[in-house]
Amino acid sequence: MSTRGAVVLRTNIGRPVAFVRKIPWTAASSELREHFAQFGHVRKCTVPFDKETGFHKGMGWIHFSSEEELHNALQQENHIIDGVKLHVQPQKPKALQGDQTSDEEKDF
Amino acid sequence: MAALLRPARWLLRAAAAPYLPLSLRLLAGGPGRPDAAVCLRAARARPVAGGLLSQARLHSIAAEKKNYLQEEPTSSHRRNASQFDWALMRLDNSVRRTGRIPKTLLQKVFDNTCHSGSPGGNQALLLLRSCGSLLPELKLSERTEFAHKIWDELQKLGTVYDVSHYNALLKVYLQNDHKFSPTDFLARMEKGNIQPNRVTYQRLIAAYCNMGDIEGASTILGFMKTKDLPVTEAVFSALVTGHARSGDMENAENILTVMKEAGIEPGPDTYLALLNAYAEKGDIDHVKQTLEKVEKSDLYLMDRDLLQIILSFSKAGYPQYVPEILEKITYERRYIPDTMNLILLLVTEKLEDTALQILLACPISRESSQNDFGSFFLRHCVTMNTPAEKLKDYCKKLKEAQLHTSPLQFTLQCALVAQKLDLAKVLMKALKEEGFPIRTHYFWPLLVGHQKEKNVQGIVEVLKGMHEIGVTPDQETYVNYVFPCFDSIKSVRAVLQENGCPHDDNVFSQAELRSKAVNGNLDYILSFLESNTLPFSFSSLRGSLILGFRRSMNINLWSKITELLYKDGRYCQEPPGPTEAVGYFLYNLIDSMSDSEVQAKEERLRQYFHQLKEMNVKIPENIYRGIRNLLDSYHVPELIKDVNILVEREKTDSRKPSSSDLESKLEKLKAENQPIGDILKQLIVMLCSEENMQKALELKAKYESDMVVGGYAALINLCCRHDNAEDALNLKREFDRLDSSAVLDTGKYVRLVKVLGKHGKLQDAINILKEMKEKDVPVKDATVLSFFHILNGAALRGETETVKQLHEAIVTLGLAKPSTALSSPLVTLYLEKDDLPAALESTIDCYEKYKILPRIHDVLCKLIEKGETELIQKAMDFVSQEQGEMTMLYDLFFAFLQTGNYKEAKKIIETPGIRARPTRLQWFCDRCIANNQVETLEKLVELTQKLFECDRDQLYYSLLKLYKVNDDWQKADAVWNKMQEENIIPREKTLRLLAEILRNNNQEVPFDVPELWYEEEKDCPTSLPSPVEVNLQQGLLNACHRRRNKDAFNIFLTAKKQNIVFDNETYARLINLLLMKDNSTQAMQVKDFAETHIKGFTLNDAANSLLIITQVRRDYLKDALTTLKTALDLDQIPSRLAVTRLIQACALKGDTESIHDIQKLVNGLEDSIGLSRMVFINNIALAQIKNNNIDVAIESIENMLTSENQTVDPQYFGLAYLFRKVIEGQLEPALKKISIMAERLANQFAVYKPVTDLFLQLVDSGKVNDARALLQRCGAIAEQMPILLVFCIRNCQRPGKAPVMKSLLELIPELIDKEEAYTCLMKSYVFDNDVTSAKALYESLTAKNVKLNDLFLKRYAVLLKNAGESVPFTEPPESFEFYAKQLKESKETHL
Repeated sequence: MSTRGAVVLRTNIGRPVAFVRKIPWTAASSELREHFAQFGHVRKCTVPFDKETGFHKGMGWIHFSSEEELHNALQQENHIIDGVKLHVQPQKPKALQGDQTSDEEKDF
Repeated sequence: MAALLRPARWLLRAAAAPYLPLSLRLLAGGPGRPDAAVCLRAARARPVAGGLLSQARLHSIAAEKKNYLQEEPTSSHRRNASQFDWALMRLDNSVRRTGRIPKTLLQKVFDNTCHSGSPGGNQALLLLRSCGSLLPELKLSERTEFAHKIWDELQKLGTVYDVSHYNALLKVYLQNDHKFSPTDFLARMEKGNIQPNRVTYQRLIAAYCNMGDIEGASTILGFMKTKDLPVTEAVFSALVTGHARSGDMENAENILTVMKEAGIEPGPDTYLALLNAYAEKGDIDHVKQTLEKVEKSDLYLMDRDLLQIILSFSKAGYPQYVPEILEKITYERRYIPDTMNLILLLVTEKLEDTALQILLACPISRESSQNDFGSFFLRHCVTMNTPAEKLKDYCKKLKEAQLHTSPLQFTLQCALVAQKLDLAKVLMKALKEEGFPIRTHYFWPLLVGHQKEKNVQGIVEVLKGMHEIGVTPDQETYVNYVFPCFDSIKSVRAVLQENGCPHDDNVFSQAELRSKAVNGNLDYILSFLESNTLPFSFSSLRGSLILGFRRSMNINLWSKITELLYKDGRYCQEPPGPTEAVGYFLYNLIDSMSDSEVQAKEERLRQYFHQLKEMNVKIPENIYRGIRNLLDSYHVPELIKDVNILVEREKTDSRKPSSSDLESKLEKLKAENQPIGDILKQLIVMLCSEENMQKALELKAKYESDMVVGGYAALINLCCRHDNAEDALNLKREFDRLDSSAVLDTGKYVRLVKVLGKHGKLQDAINILKEMKEKDVPVKDATVLSFFHILNGAALRGETETVKQLHEAIVTLGLAKPSTALSSPLVTLYLEKDDLPAALESTIDCYEKYKILPRIHDVLCKLIEKGETELIQKAMDFVSQEQGEMTMLYDLFFAFLQTGNYKEAKKIIETPGIRARPTRLQWFCDRCIANNQVETLEKLVELTQKLFECDRDQLYYSLLKLYKVNDDWQKADAVWNKMQEENIIPREKTLRLLAEILRNNNQEVPFDVPELWYEEEKDCPTSLPSPVEVNLQQGLLNACHRRRNKDAFNIFLTAKKQNIVFDNETYARLINLLLMKDNSTQAMQVKDFAETHIKGFTLNDAANSLLIITQVRRDYLKDALTTLKTALDLDQIPSRLAVTRLIQACALKGDTESIHDIQKLVNGLEDSIGLSRMVFINNIALAQIKNNNIDVAIESIENMLTSENQTVDPQYFGLAYLFRKVIEGQLEPALKKISIMAERLANQFAVYKPVTDLFLQLVDSGKVNDARALLQRCGAIAEQMPILLVFCIRNCQRPGKAPVMKSLLELIPELIDKEEAYTCLMKSYVFDNDVTSAKALYESLTAKNVKLNDLFLKRYAVLLKNAGESVPFTEPPESFEFYAKQLKESKETHL
């Protein structure tokens, strides 16, 4: 179990990705790419569109080339595109499973 | 809200209260008004604070349940009640949030209600009530239409209407200004045999009055008087309206005096009626006067009353007076929904200017720009086709008023959703004027609509519109939204040209290329790339090309295209150049494939790489490393060497062609006395990468004085990798001597700590940690995780000092915080050694030092398991004192649950005063889910049912998650029922999850699934499945359901051709079906496809079992064994039949080894699978015999039966299978030896089971003489009655056994005295139609005066009759079943 956790963590560290929500409908991947370029080199930027509606679902992923660049992006408090504030968070690592997690880690 | 409340009042009075959820009953009494007041106010909708409903519900769960049990025993009522509750919740939520119900929601609730079978009366009422003013977005006539639709539909479904429904309908008529004939309405009621009541009359009066028909109203009033019904304020208010509408304002005013004379004080309703009357006349003066009068009285008009007046002014054409009324509005928060409704209503009535006026007057906080206000207005304007110019103006005003930050964008979005091209164009132009960019994707929603209908003209219009706005379609636009509408891309080009749609040829042809690529048309790609002359961006094609590669199997094309991209001057030549670009492409290609796909295509990929090598295509080393890691993680390391050949070595070749070259160069330089530092480092690094530690160390020793820091770093790492602590440490010291300030990478330090710790060099390890601190080496999350692994590894090895000291050093140096995880090895250490006092001590120690309690749960569980009462007490005292009693109780509760002590757990959770702690409960739920502990989680949910403030829905959600993991729809369905029993209103996510589980198992979903408003996070976002896919998939599932394997397989082929991939479950079903129909070739075809297209596709238990059976049947035993292993690795339980068949097949092949393997594989699962131990014993012996190891086989069996500790009771030591196979196989020497063994066991050890089994098998195979000889040698066989009888009973179940039975009886005549035996005998004779033997049996039995049972006689009689013979006794008249049952019962009573 714990080795699996390590693998997940490792791959996540290897891939600095920001998960962006609340993207206004007016913006698509090129607008996001443009905005996030100020924090570093954007390797890949995806904003999937729903082919049934022609709109995206307000979510996207920014792949940076380094952890540091991702960190820079996360440091910035406000990310605003077309006047709308985005929610930016690191792509969540898949929850560590197994014996090393415990309830005491959480604050009660 | 109030509109939804009144049914409760009615139901309460109608004594139907018990059928309603208690929440409503509470609410009905909630406002606490005296009954008379309720009557008086009945016509006025008074809002009640929205929160009340949920609160009431929350506190009433327990009481409610009790009520259900007592008063409502049948489940259909319960189901209806919950259905109602669900519908109410959804409608109520909507009303509470927005003051209205969207039409779509009402439609959905309606459809769902219809679907539920027989909608209850309260549901009908709920729906009807919603069709009035709660639907401001619908035109009045549409609302009434909707009400009628509901009325008729529900009636068809058998809903019985009572007076409440008629009254509700009347109210809807009034709210919708619906013109109807009150007398007809009454006649209708009469026809339905429904007695009108006071409310009916009141509303009919109102209906007349609304039309200004005082005469009609008076008639009804007369009715009321004759019936002695009280005349309420509502009636007087209606009369005010009536007189006013008939043009008689004077009498309207007079009504107030009449009222007073009748002893009823005019209330707000009456004044409102009067105010509305003046407003309709445009008489602002009188309105103002009346308002003043009201103000002076102790009456109070609410905002919603004033809004009513505004509506009256506006509708009557006097918008100029609206501002004066607006001034008087206080804008209480709770009336915002009412205001919004009025605005919507005005828009619906085409009075949008007035609507805007009211909107702008709303005192919404303008400071926070976060919440835009007015979107609802704009959206509705778009729906109602408000002129574009007007909308533009509204947007401007909203923005100026700072109500909305981006009204134009929002309105545009609405226009796009509604597919209104013209409006969209106007708005886009307006936006453009404002300097806001118009982007290509704005047009996609417009294209989508036409694409669905394949409306070419519509597409052309949109494309023209794009041109008009100045936006050029990009590749995505063509590929995703334009091309799908056409049969071929050629025709797109033609149509565009025909219609004068300008398009960029380059973009278009690249889009075409992508489209072809996605479809796997690699021939086209190649010829395009060969002939293309335009500038071209490879990166935009990459994704589609990868898809295309994966869909095509033509490796030659793969290579040719890659070569072209690599070499041709037109592509990939700009920096970073072709090596990088193609390398990255290869990386992405592999990355996009699943591990199973790579595994399946291993040979093709190898071929591809080799062809690339031939073509001299190179990739950079760093990308090679990435690919290598991918291949490693896919478990296809065999391919690594094939990619390795592509690595670009030219650049490095000149410097270091190979290690031996470098070495000779080094020696040469040395000989020439030239500096060698650089080349030495290169050589060492190279040897390290070749993992040649020996050589690298030798080299270092030889040229020690020329070593540099980098060389040491590589060497240290290499030694750590090879677990060589001694050299690693020495090297590290030399490294320090060389440059004491030099810093290694974090990873190398960590590896050093690990190796040194592992080899007991604790102080050295600690020194490394200290150095890390001193040199400020960056510590990341991964580093901390590594620390944990180092400590945990040591803990598992039981190295106390290592764990303690390293942990201490890490924490005191501040390299990592003493988190629970990092400190848990301190406890693990003792848990592993089963030293519970020390484990507890260690946990407590951690608390004292770091305020954490690592692994307290595990410690408690172990203490409970071992029954260490004192230590438990100690632990509990400690937790209680340090973290409070509640935490202690939870710790104990979870530990009891975990260890299966449910009774104790129950006692704990029932401690008075304990309340829900959501995070802790969730922690335990997640733990159960992660470890797949179904029972534990079920118990948790069960035991917390009465826990105060417990979020039941959340717990059931967790339970469903676990059921989903196990795909257990029956249990999930049971949860649905339990939730209803507990009267929990499920959250949407719970309903969705439940629906998913049911759907995945082809079960009907018994409720309406809430729509997703956002997609859950996905790592690889893909577009939703197209309707074609969904249809095909549905078709396939249906075919599977009906077991039509040919149809199902054909659908699979169709989908495959179209490159449509279904989900896991669908393939699993298809494979199951095909295997069941013994179509293993097809099944494998599906399996291969699924495996190459779905990452991590696996078969489920049933499919794997079927597969094993099929493979055994086709004699692919190795494959079958692999399948078994796979299934067991997935924690599946294969079927008994599958495992048995495999074992038997192995035995017949004499493959003892495989049987042993299987035995090991299923070790511990025998009971779950249902395997008897004898399966292995029989088959191992058989396999040994087949291998001519007869003596070994016999010896081991004999040992088992005679040893002290027998694993199987001799009585059940059945070897019949072995004997039968030996006899069938005519293995004479073996049979002989077995016979000797069996006799020896009987004679010397008094174990008679084997010999009796052998005897019976001889009889069964017709070797009567051998059997007789055996019997003569071993007379005890005849005494083994139980064994013999079991044999009889088993044999008479099958036809053709009469001769066997006859022989047996001849050999052991005593058998005939047993009832079981002669019954079986007769049964066999009947089975084989052996009349003669049957007669003989009957006669011999009657001669002995045996009393024959009726079943026996019945059988015999039927046999005789069928043979056309007379029956010598009266045939028992009843059926076989009757006598069989009778016999069974009589035996039971005898017992």
